[in-house]
Amino acid sequence: MLRKPALLLTIAAGILVPTGLSAAPDPAAKPLKDGATREARPNTSQESPLVSTEWLEKNLDARNLRIVEVSVEPGVFERGHIPGAQNVVWHTDLVETVSRDIAGPDKFTALARRLGIDGDTTVVLYGDNNNWFAAWGAWVLAQYGLVDNVKLLDGGRKKWEAEKRPLDTRNVEVAPSTFTAQAPSPKLRARFADVLAVAKRERDEQILDIRSPDEFSGKVIAPAGIQELAIRAGHIPGSVNIPWSKAVNPDGTLKSKEELKALYAAAGIDGSKPIITSCRIGERSSHSWFVLSRILGYDARNYDGSWTEYGNAVGVPVVNLAGTIWGGK
Amino acid sequence: MRAAPSGEALPLPTRSVSAPGAGRALPVRATLAAAIAVGLAAAAWRLSGEPGGARLGLSLVFGALFGFVLQRSRFCFYCQWRDYLVGGDPRGMLGILAALAAGVAGYAVVFGAWMPDPSGIRLPPDAHIGPVGPVLILAGLSFGAGMAISGSCISAHLYRLGEGSPTAPFALLGTGLGFVLGFVSWNPLYLASLSEAPVLWLPRHLGYGLSLALSLALLAALAWPLLRRLPAPEAPTRIDPLRAVFVLRWPVWLGGLAVGALGTLAYLRVGPLGVTAEIGGRSRQAAGALGLLPDRLEGLDTFRGCATAVRDALLTPNGLFIGGLVLAAFAAALIADQFRPALPTRGQVVRGLTGGVLLGWGAMTGLGCSVGTLLSGIMAGAVSGWVFGFAMFAGAAAMLWLGRRTGLLA
Repeated sequence: MLRKPALLLTIAAGILVPTGLSAAPDPAAKPLKDGATREARPNTSQESPLVSTEWLEKNLDARNLRIVEVSVEPGVFERGHIPGAQNVVWHTDLVETVSRDIAGPDKFTALARRLGIDGDTTVVLYGDNNNWFAAWGAWVLAQYGLVDNVKLLDGGRKKWEAEKRPLDTRNVEVAPSTFTAQAPSPKLRARFADVLAVAKRERDEQILDIRSPDEFSGKVIAPAGIQELAIRAGHIPGSVNIPWSKAVNPDGTLKSKEELKALYAAAGIDGSKPIITSCRIGERSSHSWFVLSRILGYDARNYDGSWTEYGNAVGVPVVNLAGTIWGGK
Repeated sequence: MRAAPSGEALPLPTRSVSAPGAGRALPVRATLAAAIAVGLAAAAWRLSGEPGGARLGLSLVFGALFGFVLQRSRFCFYCQWRDYLVGGDPRGMLGILAALAAGVAGYAVVFGAWMPDPSGIRLPPDAHIGPVGPVLILAGLSFGAGMAISGSCISAHLYRLGEGSPTAPFALLGTGLGFVLGFVSWNPLYLASLSEAPVLWLPRHLGYGLSLALSLALLAALAWPLLRRLPAPEAPTRIDPLRAVFVLRWPVWLGGLAVGALGTLAYLRVGPLGVTAEIGGRSRQAAGALGLLPDRLEGLDTFRGCATAVRDALLTPNGLFIGGLVLAAFAAALIADQFRPALPTRGQVVRGLTGGVLLGWGAMTGLGCSVGTLLSGIMAGAVSGWVFGFAMFAGAAAMLWLGRRTGLLA
């Protein structure tokens, strides 16, 4: 028979142990939710570049997981984000703010360290507007060698909110990493000369223009409400038009691999030739770049110069189906 | 104790017109007010159930609460200033300072969670931190003069619309016209001055703790001389609580504390308090459609403040905020028997329109009004809020002095 103090201790342990209660405020020692994994690497299937909202909610406390929100609208992150997420502002953090370029190695190193991202960290990116800028983030990270460990939250913020999953307004503190960025890989980024070579049929590659049909045809230079930042309307010769939204289900998730394959194959894009994705400033096209490169495994590069570079260039071939002159008739 | 002059605070009509609920028995007025409250609640519930509508529903609720508080406490920047200048009663101005103190503390709590380090190049999301320069001073002076002429600021005209004020509709119409004039004069002002005006945010330079301490110290310094002029306290009387909430005027300090709390909560969930974004946006849309605007308003949409970006949606957060404000003020006025509609006199029309134009021009070029730039700005630690505030009260005092000298203003 147990003596009284020992009995009390046993009862206390019996209450505390199953709930995982811990007196230590160490965030890493938080109780796990049902079905959560706490391995060094969260148990995502490594080949999939997407994670589901359900998986993410179960793995919020997983170690070595960094959740990063890249939204366009200011204040969205601050007024409620996925618990544990960190904020990245695409137009200051992921780009150079004076010259037009992605963030340089020094700037990117500082960002990755602040976010606690290393080569073996699983990074889940998500954002508003159908993950447009989260996909842009994935494209920038990929150029610095962070490819397979970077995932997109399928359906993004929209689906997480629609499913009424929890949001948090507090900031998480993560231990900085020691990541050091090398020069970005040129393999995932198309430059003006590459696109021009395709337009002039000097190179056998395909250009996927994901803008709206009216922008592609030259009827308008930019979507409604957006400044016309190009002098000419139309598209790059030889490009095909599949708006980015065709790759997305109504709930914001990406279509199945088979559906996506069929969608692009119908326009002659089947992965047999290298592909260049393009739009107006290169962010919506990084969404389609993600689909082609990461989901279908095609050889794809994103052309971030896009129409605001090509449509302003002097002496290059342009197709303008609508026959507009200076954006008018 | 001297009786505080009413100014235009409670317009007592010379010619009453028949309107629903006006001067009727309490049950009729209470039923109508309850119907409005239920309608507002139902609308908020309906909106929040729609996809992406949570923000719209909340805006309506915050607007209604703001309108109720403004009407109940007569939270009107001009009337309180006039009460002090003409009647010597400092209580209203102390109420405004109370609102600022509560909001400054509330914002500091929110900022600390959202942006633990304020020292970088970033500003807290959509806080009203505007450029500080000569244009802001001109805007404040114009807005203050407009308040003195039309009888109150834009937010007070909105709640008085709910009280049936004969001046408010003309003042708000004038405000819209003033906005158009502001847009037309924007580009030269931007190129000459605004583009180089610094955007000064106190926490970036002082940190949150010192910034909070400095703001509170400034408010205390402003309150000190006012506190010395307080009237003798009235003998306490037993008041029925329901009557105290729904019929009697709240003391302004109480309204001020409520405004400070509302400002913080609205910023936390939706955005800073402001009443001119919708007026400005719709004016811009209308003026654009009529071809009155320059093709491009340089840099305007990159500034913080009451954004006047052209709206494409029928329902916007700020539109619902204004709608909630006016309807709740109407309901509150009904219960308190302060809904007194009247046919406007010619003087009221002229004063409303001219004052409104000055209010609108000041609110456009100042990127907000006494609520958006002054209240939400000072709460956020923006130097622009202080500068606009001082200019606004100076402009109102000068116009009031001039008006009383010439016999044109009471």
